[in-house]
Amino acid sequence: MLISLNWLKKYVKIPVSDEELIRLIGARLVEVEGVIDESHKYDGIKIVRVETAEKIENTHLTLCMVNDGSAELTQVLCGAPNVREGMLAAWIAPGATVPASVHEDAPFIIGTRKMLGKYDSHGMLAAPDELDLGDMHDGIAEIDPEMAKPGDSLADVFELNDKILEIENKSLTHRPDTFGLIGFAREVAGILGQKFDEVELTTELEEKNQIEIEITNPEICSRYTAVVLERHGEIKKKYLTWQDTILAKSGMRPVDPIVDATNYLMLLTGQPLHAFDYDKFVAVGNAKEAKIIVRLAKDGEKLTLLDNKEIVLNDNDIVITSNNVPVALAGAMGGASTMIDENTRNIIIESAAFSLYNLRKTQMAHGIFSEAITRFTKGQPAYQTLAVASECAKMLEGGFKVAMVSDAYPKPEKENRVKISTAEINGLLGTEYSNELIKSTLSNVGFTVSGDENLDIVAPSWRTDIHIKEDIIEEVGRLLGYDNIAPVLPLHGTATPNKMLSLKKKIRSILNEYGCNEVLTYSFVSERLLENACLDTKNSYKIVNSISPDLQLVRQSIVPSLLDKAHLNQKIPYDSFALFEMNKIYRKDWGMNEESVPTEKMSLGFVLAERKTVGDAYYKAKNFVEKLLKRFNIEPEFRPLKQMGAECLPFENKRAAEIWVGEEYIGVVGEFKNVVKRNFKLNDYLAGFELNLDKILNLESSVVIPSSFEIKDKQDLTITTKKSYREVYNQVKEKYSDAEVTPVGIYQPEGVEDKNITFHLEFR
Amino acid sequence: MEELEKLKRELKDLNAEYAKIKDVPAEKRGEFGRELNAKKTEILNRIKEAEDAMLDAEVKPLDITAPCSPNEPLPEVYSVFEGSEHPLMTELDRVIEIYQLMGFDVVESRQLDDEFHMFDSLNFAKEHPARDGYDTFRTEEGLIPPAHTSTMQHRVLKAYKHNLEEGKEIAVVVPGRVYRNEDVDATHEHTFYQCEGVYVSKNCTLGNMLGILREFFEKYYEQKLNIRTQPGYFPFTEPSLEFMIEKPKALGGKKGDFLEMLGCGMIHPNVLKMAGIDPTEYHGFAWGGGIDRLVMLRYGLKDVRNFESGNLNFLKEF
Repeated sequence: MLISLNWLKKYVKIPVSDEELIRLIGARLVEVEGVIDESHKYDGIKIVRVETAEKIENTHLTLCMVNDGSAELTQVLCGAPNVREGMLAAWIAPGATVPASVHEDAPFIIGTRKMLGKYDSHGMLAAPDELDLGDMHDGIAEIDPEMAKPGDSLADVFELNDKILEIENKSLTHRPDTFGLIGFAREVAGILGQKFDEVELTTELEEKNQIEIEITNPEICSRYTAVVLERHGEIKKKYLTWQDTILAKSGMRPVDPIVDATNYLMLLTGQPLHAFDYDKFVAVGNAKEAKIIVRLAKDGEKLTLLDNKEIVLNDNDIVITSNNVPVALAGAMGGASTMIDENTRNIIIESAAFSLYNLRKTQMAHGIFSEAITRFTKGQPAYQTLAVASECAKMLEGGFKVAMVSDAYPKPEKENRVKISTAEINGLLGTEYSNELIKSTLSNVGFTVSGDENLDIVAPSWRTDIHIKEDIIEEVGRLLGYDNIAPVLPLHGTATPNKMLSLKKKIRSILNEYGCNEVLTYSFVSERLLENACLDTKNSYKIVNSISPDLQLVRQSIVPSLLDKAHLNQKIPYDSFALFEMNKIYRKDWGMNEESVPTEKMSLGFVLAERKTVGDAYYKAKNFVEKLLKRFNIEPEFRPLKQMGAECLPFENKRAAEIWVGEEYIGVVGEFKNVVKRNFKLNDYLAGFELNLDKILNLESSVVIPSSFEIKDKQDLTITTKKSYREVYNQVKEKYSDAEVTPVGIYQPEGVEDKNITFHLEFR
Repeated sequence: MEELEKLKRELKDLNAEYAKIKDVPAEKRGEFGRELNAKKTEILNRIKEAEDAMLDAEVKPLDITAPCSPNEPLPEVYSVFEGSEHPLMTELDRVIEIYQLMGFDVVESRQLDDEFHMFDSLNFAKEHPARDGYDTFRTEEGLIPPAHTSTMQHRVLKAYKHNLEEGKEIAVVVPGRVYRNEDVDATHEHTFYQCEGVYVSKNCTLGNMLGILREFFEKYYEQKLNIRTQPGYFPFTEPSLEFMIEKPKALGGKKGDFLEMLGCGMIHPNVLKMAGIDPTEYHGFAWGGGIDRLVMLRYGLKDVRNFESGNLNFLKEF
């Protein structure tokens, strides 16, 4: 939303500098995303009178002498068809910039140039689009002689030296009242500690010659006001108006007097209006008189909108119908069949309140993001529909007179009343505001406050968001400034450590010490990545609105993501490295937990890769596992792979192992299948592991640290055998149960089947 | 091996079949072609399977219980100089430590949650437009990878409610990974980390919240800071605020250069009520802010995309 400071200042006195005002708005109302400074946008643009205008034959150009208030006339060539003697126009003097181009990379600076080989043309007479005050380019802007005289600066006449605030709409989601300038100004007054002078719109019209309005369900439309205007003359749009400049500064464009009036009033009051061609409306309904029915659309019903696009409606959309034939998508856009045009005689001004919930879905379903629907989806209250429609009728009275007025208000809004004590307000904010201050702060912005210590507060009709005590506390805290509340540390107890976080922190530090690199990879992966790692894609939760196919599935384990990153780093190139990540994983076959959300596990993934082709990477990865677990006093056992879970799938059966501690399976370690290596384009020397950290956490807390560190005796022992290492190790452990047994090496002479396994024994 | 050769012969024979198409009546050619194509696809798939199997058949088994291969040295870990910890993770640890010293327990956030925890339990009205502001991802089942760590608020309130009954306060922070469906650029990631804070007691105030937040940021950036707030809107807090700090001088900040660090506010009574806490007896406040931004500011990092890049050139700097 764009807010013109000059316009704002028409409704509230501002005793502080613009900078301070903007700071206060940011601190107490809404985030100001940016400020567009237009203080110099119209420098060097003057009002001039065209004293003579001579057509140059065989061209579209007119040779003009213009009076800029100085003693001498200036010669300007003009290509516009509407240039004529005696008119007032906006003249961009040589050296000045075309306003529409000021924010471009290369602003267009007007000079003096020779045209048609012989005429000097000084500056230019500007069209509304060049002035950035409209889209029109079919003629130059004409200025009302009642407003200005030659030599006046255009900026002074139209108050164009302005600052425009860019407001972040999101933080006003709950404040529909501030989407009109009056509501915004009221808040600014409140922030400045002033009582806001409420703006009196014209007297509400009385219902007469009513046209029939039927609202099928008050939940979708709490109020519908229709005012029919009958044409009695032409509203000639001749001059550039101040209202045009307000529309332009608010990001809209002047179109025609009727549309401009509805748009201007929406910007002023927050209440969107729509104008139908009355005669078309009646004709579409195939009836003698207009009958308005507001109802939900039927699935599959069709409607062609103002932009000539036909949309297929659904049963959530609210439609305005003429005798049951849809003519507009309520709150979003009018229909083509009842659009006003140059032949329009009579019009219906619609001013209504619709359900924000329905409109929000409509917005999403049809991708309509108009100024009107932006306001409606904040929940515009119903209190002012008749007042704003009446104001619109008044604005158009030059060309129209009021023929019919109907106001269907099936669901009047309830008064919002809150009782709260000043102690409660101060108690939650941590302040000591006086009764008086709290009362005046609230009444400045329209609340009715009675009582002293115990306040009885009635919210004004535009504050449909006020229901509970906290809503009042927010008003007081905000309007008086949260920054005026002293930060005070509360006293409280000590924390209990989180064991999983401590475990992860230790692992992070240990693996760093072992020369490994911690990475973070996305929780979402592609189908292809899982397939490359031989995982079943169906076991992944699937994101239906993913950013790209690369981020479609919730990952089932960490290792596949690391294989992907291993490829990236091998290409950089890094010759040898080990990546690890600790993060949460999910699998469909784990089902739901007691809260009915998917079971999750904390997993440690690890992949090492080297740029060599020989050697058994298995043992390197296994060494990392053993060393790491030893730091937590866990001694694992390595058993043949029996596919305990999805984490095992990328691993090669013959060169990988399950990791067990007692009767607990905790993970997998090993080399990868050849297809996996090929799919990820990785060198042969590659291995990894994946460990379930939840299990490790349990095991870690149950370990006993050996009591003695004193070594009493030590010896080395070599055994010649055909058996597996583990069998031999177990035999040694059995025999020397009081010894710590560590391997020294395995020697196997060439051509011999027996191995010599050497152990080191330490007795404690 | 035999299987593969058999399949290759089959493929050759099949290819020869294609020549017969000219003898087939014109109206049956389409069907004939389709059948042949289907057969061919099937054979090609089987060839691929057989080749994959062969790849794996060449694999030599090893003694998985041994510490090394025969005649090879015992393996070693890599040099400590090669190692690195992820900056987001080490900084998250620091964040947690600061809060723990201030008396906050820590609960990690989920990475896949449901509509109830993400929205309903936080006083978002059904179908309310405020739900759109979070650009959430959804799974086929309607589950949500959370867009904020507030998804844990309801759980934390319920799990720690006994503290209140014991006359103590609830003081918990919730670090975690969150997801937003938005375009990625140097300052936006669809995946990032947040830390949530929840505090409930009999008589805590908004002033207490500001006190805790200022204390945290001063400890984190190791210096005194100017703070500022602006009104915000979250359905689950009332009042709602945005909390800002003046960019520290040491990090290149100028006077008046305020940065939005997090959203915060007094917990909405409906949120307390839903967790079984009586809002007339207890009050609370909560906040949540991004960790990535905190860390980028501390290290002067310019591109958030580096964090999840897995690129060692970046990671080895830490």
